[in-house]
Amino acid sequence: MTYEERWTGFEAHIDGGGMVEAGDWMPDEYRAGVLKFIEMHANSEIMGAIPEREQIPGAPSLKRKMSLTAKVQDEVGHAQLLYRVAEDLGKSRDAMYWDLVSGKSKFHNVFHYPTFHWGDAAVIGWLIDGAALVTQASLLESSYAPYTRVLKRICAEEQLHLRHGEDITLELASGTDRQRAMLQDALNRWWLPIIHFFGPKSNVDKDLLLRWRVKTRTNEDLRAEFLDRYVPKVLELGFELPTPVPFKDAASGRWVVNDEDIDWAPLDAIKKNQGPETARRLGLRRRSYEDHRWVREALNDQTSQAA
Amino acid sequence: MSDILAAILIALADDELIIGHRHSEWTGFAPHMEEDVAFSSIAQDEIGHASAYYSLASTMVGQTPDQLAFGREPGEYHNAVLCERPNGDWAYTLARHWLYDNADALRLEALERSSRPELALLAAKIRREERWHSLHAELWVKRVAEGSVEGRGKLLHALAEAFAEVRGLFEPFDNEERAIAQGWLTVPSPVLGARFVETTTAALDDLGLPVEIEPGAITTELIASSSGDLIATDEESASITPAGGGLGGRYGRHSDDFKALWAAMTATYKIEPEATW
Amino acid sequence: MRRSTIRPRRRPESLVEIYEVFRRSGHKEPFEHCGSVTAPDARMATVMAKECFTRRGEGRHLWVIRRADIHSWSDDSLPDPAADKTYRFAHAYRDVIKKRALARSRAQADAR
Repeated sequence: MTYEERWTGFEAHIDGGGMVEAGDWMPDEYRAGVLKFIEMHANSEIMGAIPEREQIPGAPSLKRKMSLTAKVQDEVGHAQLLYRVAEDLGKSRDAMYWDLVSGKSKFHNVFHYPTFHWGDAAVIGWLIDGAALVTQASLLESSYAPYTRVLKRICAEEQLHLRHGEDITLELASGTDRQRAMLQDALNRWWLPIIHFFGPKSNVDKDLLLRWRVKTRTNEDLRAEFLDRYVPKVLELGFELPTPVPFKDAASGRWVVNDEDIDWAPLDAIKKNQGPETARRLGLRRRSYEDHRWVREALNDQTSQAA
Repeated sequence: MSDILAAILIALADDELIIGHRHSEWTGFAPHMEEDVAFSSIAQDEIGHASAYYSLASTMVGQTPDQLAFGREPGEYHNAVLCERPNGDWAYTLARHWLYDNADALRLEALERSSRPELALLAAKIRREERWHSLHAELWVKRVAEGSVEGRGKLLHALAEAFAEVRGLFEPFDNEERAIAQGWLTVPSPVLGARFVETTTAALDDLGLPVEIEPGAITTELIASSSGDLIATDEESASITPAGGGLGGRYGRHSDDFKALWAAMTATYKIEPEATW
Repeated sequence: MRRSTIRPRRRPESLVEIYEVFRRSGHKEPFEHCGSVTAPDARMATVMAKECFTRRGEGRHLWVIRRADIHSWSDDSLPDPAADKTYRFAHAYRDVIKKRALARSRAQADAR
């Protein structure tokens, strides 16, 4: 079989709803594309742990102290699962981690922003996890089978996180004036980054990941679902959302935002790894990685009697 | 009388809460991903143990577990100073984890024979989870001790540093003699301390680690005067400075490290102490 | 179209190994694959696997096996076998209902 014949067969397989396993033949572009996509997902889980863990020391009850720790533990677990899947496509975890902390590879925009107080724990745990869940649920239908298998577990845990985040949010929403103010303050800061999370309009013709069913829905489609599901849930608690202010579209009856109201400049900066917290957080991880080289060596050591 | 028992339960809870708080600071940041997940469970367990001890105490003092955990002033916490030290690097964290869980194992073994059934029951439950913590600590310490020169060196240094303050875990509780007389505690803290020196020395020998422990090093400073005050060194009772060598925690005397920890831990709670979160 | 230039490495080049993890909860189902961990030896792998894959009580029994020790096979044969193999399945014996009815009526006829 020629390479061209294999390629055609592969596309037919994908178009027919076929799945791809790690050991299967795949075009270089598919392998590289899927690897980069999963790598970015894994990067996002491990970098997402940073803003989330910032609120663990100040968690205001014993229950929340444990549950928020467990939540961040899950995110590290997700990173572990995803890096394993990416590794099996041919890039070592070491190489991926080094690319991340040296600024070469990327992670989702929302994790480039600072956190200030417990209101951030609420919004991150509810709306950001909600946004991630909309995206991740669509990826359950991805053509790359090992990815879909870990996503099953990841989505199940994210459902729990969503519940947990909503629980924290509702306590604030029905709490004292100060608690409500914390939540509104967090909403004011996180709303635009959450809109950015889904990315700009997909280029359906050029997006190979969509073509090969690695991704299954367009960015604008996913954002539309998120808005329609979550905007009413925020507004009915008596809170406001800043620019881009959502409104109910007369024709469709769905909650939407005006594309013209979206300022994409902050996302452009983040794409160059120039977000508000990017350098500091990557620096933290890089220094820890370098300082703890001896720990990785201890784990690599096969001469230990511990076995 | 139940005030005495409550105070002891709160001190035990404080040890677990403060070290659990420190352990939880590694979640999302540990040097190896699978280890991050494993160590986070240990952190959650310790906070859970604290919660259980506070719950027992709360029935006696009329304060909720959260009020006990977050509502006191720094001088009212009775954890050992060792627990409040910052995590430092992974070597110090491992060293302290190993020492603390070895000490806790001895303490729990004694508590399982308490004349207070609810305390004995709780100690038995906690001890089952702690066995797992000890296994984890041993695996790591053994691996690093038998590994590269660099890692072994860091571990030795960390063990020495942590060992200098471990005696604080065996500082007698307030009114300990009366608790012993009642059978609530079954082994005096200095005796537990001596046992700890014995078992830890043996374990260090097995690992081939030359940490020097003078005989009696842990117990000599632990002789309480009849008033319950420690024979300590120089501080005024009003300040919260430790008595030195890891002592003072059981009497509310803590380091600047504790001040910083306490500020972070109680900041949100203090915004609305009456609210639910 | 370009020729393939990427040579995928299936095993990372370090001494840390991949251990595949299997778990069983209860006694009614066999061990099931649930993921993998990277660890230097079986004991560490067990500790890691316990926390990564059973912290919500999903299983009380674990196996960890070095990936290198797993031998695999996949069925590449066409779904169209060379001969009829339906004799392996229950649905090939649906006719028992008719056959019993026939045999019963024959026995009743003989008895008259």
